[in-house]
Amino acid sequence: MSKNETGYTKKNLPDKIAKIGGILFAVGLLLGIAGFLADTYRASFAYLVSFIFFLSITIGSLFLVALEYAAGADWSTPFRRISEFFAASLPLLIIFVIPLFFNTGNLFRWSHADYINSDQMLQAKSAYLNTPFFVVRVIGILLLWLVFYYVITKNSRKQDSTGDQTLTKKNIRLSVIFIPLFAITVTLTAVDWVMSLESRWFSTMFGVYLFSGIVWVALAVLTYTAIKLRENGYLHSAIKEDHYYSLGTLLFAFTAFWGYIAFSQYMLIWYGNLPEETFWFMQRWSGGWKIISILLIVTHFIVPFFSLLSYEAKTNIKRLKFISLWVIAIHFLDVYWLIMPSMTRNDHAYTFSWIDFVYPLIFIGLLMVVFSKMAQKYNLVPIGDPKLQRGLNFHL
Amino acid sequence: MSLDYSKEIPLVQGDLTMADLDNAITKPMDTKPNNKYFIALAFTTSLLLLGLLGVALTFYYGIGEWGNNQPVAWGWGITNFVFWVGIAHAGTLISAILYLLRQKWRTGIARFAEAMTIFAVICAGIFPIIHTGRPWLAGYLIPYPNSHGLWPNFMSPLVWDVFAVSTYFIVSLMFWYVGLIPDFATLRDRATTKAKKFVYSFFSLGWRHSNRHWRHYEKVYMILAGLATPLVLSVHTVVSFDFAVAVLPGWHSTIFPPYFVAGAIFSGFAMVVTALIFIRKVFNLEDVITMDHLDRMNKIILLTGSMVGYAYLMEFFISWYSGVPTEQFVAINRAFGPYAWGYWIMVSCNSLFPQLFWFRKFRRSIPVMFIVVILVNVGMWFERFIIIASSLHRDFLPSSWGYFTPTWVDFSILIGSFGLFFTLVLLFSRTLPVVAMSEIKGVVEGAQPSHHGGDHNG
Amino acid sequence: MDKGKKLHSVAALFNKPDEIIDAAKKTNAAGYKKYDVNTPYPVHGMDSAMGMGQSKVGFVTLFFGLFGATFIFLFMWWSTASSYSIVVGGKPFLSTPAFIPITFETTVLFAAISTVVGMIAVFFKLPANSHPIHDTDYMKAVSGDKYGLVIEAEDEKFNKAEVTEFLKGLGAYKVENIYYPEFEKFRLFEPKFLLFLVVIAVGTCGMTYVTLNKLMYVTPFGWMEFQSKLTAQEGSDMWANGEGMRPPVEGTVARDDMPYPFMGQPTPPEVLSNPTLPTKKLLKLGQKKFLTFCSPCHGNLADGNSRLRGQFPAGPTLHSAKIINYPDGKIYHIITNGQNAMPSYSRQTTNKERWAIVDYIRVLQRAQNAKESDLQAINKESVSNVQK
Repeated sequence: MSKNETGYTKKNLPDKIAKIGGILFAVGLLLGIAGFLADTYRASFAYLVSFIFFLSITIGSLFLVALEYAAGADWSTPFRRISEFFAASLPLLIIFVIPLFFNTGNLFRWSHADYINSDQMLQAKSAYLNTPFFVVRVIGILLLWLVFYYVITKNSRKQDSTGDQTLTKKNIRLSVIFIPLFAITVTLTAVDWVMSLESRWFSTMFGVYLFSGIVWVALAVLTYTAIKLRENGYLHSAIKEDHYYSLGTLLFAFTAFWGYIAFSQYMLIWYGNLPEETFWFMQRWSGGWKIISILLIVTHFIVPFFSLLSYEAKTNIKRLKFISLWVIAIHFLDVYWLIMPSMTRNDHAYTFSWIDFVYPLIFIGLLMVVFSKMAQKYNLVPIGDPKLQRGLNFHL
Repeated sequence: MSLDYSKEIPLVQGDLTMADLDNAITKPMDTKPNNKYFIALAFTTSLLLLGLLGVALTFYYGIGEWGNNQPVAWGWGITNFVFWVGIAHAGTLISAILYLLRQKWRTGIARFAEAMTIFAVICAGIFPIIHTGRPWLAGYLIPYPNSHGLWPNFMSPLVWDVFAVSTYFIVSLMFWYVGLIPDFATLRDRATTKAKKFVYSFFSLGWRHSNRHWRHYEKVYMILAGLATPLVLSVHTVVSFDFAVAVLPGWHSTIFPPYFVAGAIFSGFAMVVTALIFIRKVFNLEDVITMDHLDRMNKIILLTGSMVGYAYLMEFFISWYSGVPTEQFVAINRAFGPYAWGYWIMVSCNSLFPQLFWFRKFRRSIPVMFIVVILVNVGMWFERFIIIASSLHRDFLPSSWGYFTPTWVDFSILIGSFGLFFTLVLLFSRTLPVVAMSEIKGVVEGAQPSHHGGDHNG
Repeated sequence: MDKGKKLHSVAALFNKPDEIIDAAKKTNAAGYKKYDVNTPYPVHGMDSAMGMGQSKVGFVTLFFGLFGATFIFLFMWWSTASSYSIVVGGKPFLSTPAFIPITFETTVLFAAISTVVGMIAVFFKLPANSHPIHDTDYMKAVSGDKYGLVIEAEDEKFNKAEVTEFLKGLGAYKVENIYYPEFEKFRLFEPKFLLFLVVIAVGTCGMTYVTLNKLMYVTPFGWMEFQSKLTAQEGSDMWANGEGMRPPVEGTVARDDMPYPFMGQPTPPEVLSNPTLPTKKLLKLGQKKFLTFCSPCHGNLADGNSRLRGQFPAGPTLHSAKIINYPDGKIYHIITNGQNAMPSYSRQTTNKERWAIVDYIRVLQRAQNAKESDLQAINKESVSNVQK
């Protein structure tokens, strides 16, 4: 299929996107380094929050791509490329994880031999929670993600010129293999980076919890970008209200899903009332964290749920854009709430610091720069995809 | 076999017209059943009678007729309850969730699946009633003002269960009935005898296919689907709470809610596939319930089976990671203790055999499919049993350890529940349309106007 | 089927969905208001072709759903935290996390029931089996695989010839007239229906009566009400006189009791010796019992100053030389066995209490016949008490 047949002409994104991204990145980097110099301990945690936030968006986007192939969905084909371009930042994870490797001592108490040896329970875990194995796991997971990203998106882009249907078949195969691996690797990521901050705590649901947030924010990023680009003529003109409705519905569904997972995890631990489990939530209910916890319930569940409940809400462009940005911000709050209380460990009252808000700039800037570079090189619409026509014709 | 991804898979094959569909679907209701049907019905009814015998003995002699003992005070009663509630979920998933996801291929199987939901909930609901010992006093459990000032214990997940399962039954029944109203109208207008006409008129409420009504109808259907979706997820979640709120190792695990829901969908789809393999053959509906339907359902079986497998891995890993000796013991005891035989049946049936569905050839092969889904049902029953028995029979105090052995009354009640379920399915298949007539006509080729945006043959 | 001659509407049948959409648009554009489209399944785009907006049934759902949530949450709060609050599992009385599952389920339940009932009763106004359109060829076609458009005679612009021409012009393959059915008696008073009501009423009452008064008492359903153990006042076949309640066997002794061997003998061959030591505690007990049982006849000081006022023979003084010389066991015997007009006090007092009374009587006797040395000893004691 040539470009003319599908009615899409490639238009380059304005330069200012890459420029703004570059500025955010540079400012963030400078402030970030300053942060590390000012308070390395605190900066490690703040950086970890932003790193996990960045990871959520990138791997979540790749998951959305794989999900479309595996489910055989066609309505999302017209803007699948957007998720591919956000996933393109995956290789950068390997670079940006390095500062964290240098700070495992600050982040993880289990990396200190004397802490482990003081407790029999922690000693038993040290077969898993030790720095060498940790590094190996992290690198292995990132490489695995990289491999799948590379092969799937390469096939997708190649199809633009050849229209070869076997590429779709290959991508379907890759996607269905990727999804179970994604489940396991995201779980390990959640356990390694977030759950082990409190090495005594455990919850079988934790991987699912992080998964729900990852997909939520990836959907929000996709929704906002898709709407914005379509409004300004960068996407195919056949993308319409029905597509937005589907995106809004997914966003709504994952809001409910997060609420369900978060409530289940909380309620079961509350009900069992075992001190070895409840202390994690008690940490997040003490002092200033109480307000953040309540805020999280309101902003992560109540507001998006009721905002996206009706049909009208899910097709209202302004509301969808606003809610998408809201979701992105609140996912950051969620990750913040997961990680930062471990920094103070109930020792002293928590206060905010400028360091906490510096690192997101780096990664948002990166995402913007990478996205615009990819949009320059490749089509924003997968013109060679056999499902594209059906996707453009999609009606509820 | 090469696939063309630019084309949608047709939902109805064989170039059937709407009139053909009406005739094919109503044929079982208009014709006399053949011997095979009566033999099947006799078989299922005899299983049902065996179950009634077990229940009668339980009423007369008490719960001592069951194998429940200390420490395994919850035995097959709750295992069977969870099993049947799980099977019910597939029906709602197919009719409600796939509807919300605009998966039109659900049309051929949705009616049957909803009916299965209702029958499975009926089978499930029997167990909480008969396990009380003096079920004729069950009315006292309803909140009523009394001089003791007693109210139900709303903190207890068993009470949450009552609300959840009752709500689920009522909503499923309404959802099913609302879908049946247009079909009753069509049946009324095709009715040949006065008796049939009276019955169908009554149940159709005088529906006259008016678009002024269809407008509200579609909205209500969407609303019910939107309500039923979180409802079905919540029901098995509440069932999982029965276990997860306790502090028993092996039960107190935060992943139980989605784990149970995935397991419910898994076992439910397996039961749907089991039944549809027969229904489509016996009633010559192979062009309406196509191999593509079975293929897709088997994919969902693979997906949910993998989720269950994920939960097994997580439980195992976290019980090691937690460092809590009792948790670690339970994980090892499950795999290598007295119930190891059940555990390995469970793992192989749930995680191993469904892996065959990675291969398109096996997904589309009736013999392979049939064996795998039967094994899945067996495996999922064992999963509930292993969760219950392995955590109860050896908990904190070794002097309290014991072993649970079912009695033949337990067996007869389980068999009887299958008898009840399949009897209802058989009766349903000849008295009501197993495929939703109005829905299937709406997705056949040429059913929708062409200028409303492209091909609606999908 | 015979029909009355009043025209209800003119109906047109079409073969293809495109045609019916077109027809609906044109009918709407032509200004007709009371018309309807009948299709065997919802046809996409028909709502906008007929110029209709979104259905409002969702508001019912929302309202009743929220109502259900509020209602059940308040009920749970009231019953758990207010009416009779019991601490369950160490949880607070108002346990919001524990209340959420039921709140959610009830929200869904109320929302669903209200939506369906509202839809059928209010939005559809069903059941309506006597609508003129039933039992016509039109209805049969539209139930199967054809599409229909109906313009009602009550519409302002209705003119039978005009409408028929108009419908033919839209491409209908068949146009027919729909008539009102013959006038029917008001259904409520039809004898069949009334009979039906009566049968239901009688049936319900009868079944309720049988269940509550007969069925509930049939064994084995009333097992634990009828038990083998003997309850109070119950008869029994084990004994000849049929009485379940038996007196104690001959020679039964109460707990802590020793049978008195000389019961019933006015002059016993011997008397028991006093086993008690006159401790202060025992004497106080003896005083209490004396004042209770003995003083009405013998007086508070055992001097015969009774309170009987001649209604009963008064007891003699116990300070006579004869009684002072009685051994303790003799006094004990008289109290236990009785003597003359004095009844036995063995039923009202225990053995110990009677010995205490005997000891107290000795105290009284000494007090009434005190020697000089006794008085001096008392005075000395009371002085020394004051000094302390």
